[in-house]
Amino acid sequence: MPPLSGTIKTYIKWIGALLLLSFLIIIYKRYSPIDSSWFPKCPFRSLTGLQCPGCGSQRAIHDLLNLDILGAFRENALMVVSIPYIVTAFIFESIHHPTSKLLKWRKALFGVKAIYLIFVLVIGFWILRNLL
Amino acid sequence: MQKYYYTNGVTTFGPFTLEELIKEHISRDTKVWFQELSEWQPAGNVPELSVLFKDTPPPYTYTASPRPLAAESVPVEQLNEAPPKSWLTESILVTLFCCLPFGIVGIVNAAKVESRFYAKDYDGAFKASEEAKKWTTLGFWVGIVVGIIYVIVVGYATIVRNH
Repeated sequence: MPPLSGTIKTYIKWIGALLLLSFLIIIYKRYSPIDSSWFPKCPFRSLTGLQCPGCGSQRAIHDLLNLDILGAFRENALMVVSIPYIVTAFIFESIHHPTSKLLKWRKALFGVKAIYLIFVLVIGFWILRNLL
Repeated sequence: MQKYYYTNGVTTFGPFTLEELIKEHISRDTKVWFQELSEWQPAGNVPELSVLFKDTPPPYTYTASPRPLAAESVPVEQLNEAPPKSWLTESILVTLFCCLPFGIVGIVNAAKVESRFYAKDYDGAFKASEEAKKWTTLGFWVGIVVGIIYVIVVGYATIVRNH
């Protein structure tokens, strides 16, 4: 008889995460962060008046959940672009014993060069969105 | 309750219950460890884990000219090993949804994990992975706690205003 309590704990964790996620999806779909004061504000923007690379993510999520992709792009293009990339990364991570071909793709997409590019993109986005 | 760990030589996975370990589909050659073992052992040699391989035929060894064990001599890249978890995606999410400084530190450490691993500095890669984990989880929890505090403060202010 294998021990069960570890498995039960994992189930509870997943159910909890799923409930929280559904709750957040309903809230972010139904209510716009523009109209409601309940959504946390960016401290960087409150202090400096400038936008950080994450500013507009909550509004973009609201737009995406209401299938307004263009609106989401206007709020935070970086966030919208990063979604397919992050989904791909999670798929790659879930493969425990990758083939050498997959490993090559992994290195190209998520290796050190890709990470430097991401770093430059984040900083570049930060500067440009405050200038344009 | 017994907790099992297994390793690919670079990253250690676990703890797993026996049930969870079955789902990991490890091979007889995968090194495993649990409380009662003094050192890492191939899973196929551990009687407690025989249930894992009840449907897999035992490896056939050609006894006349035994092949040398591959694991000792082949470099890690050729063994199809991925670097330790770089926490890149989590760092990006923390950057975009919560706390830029923690996310940036995470991204920098993700770069270190990758560069060190492919420079064969496995210890360094592992350390950078731990560092990346520390900053992204910190960012994650700071985000959650600040978010909750924010909602409580707004709720309190709303109640006060309505009275």
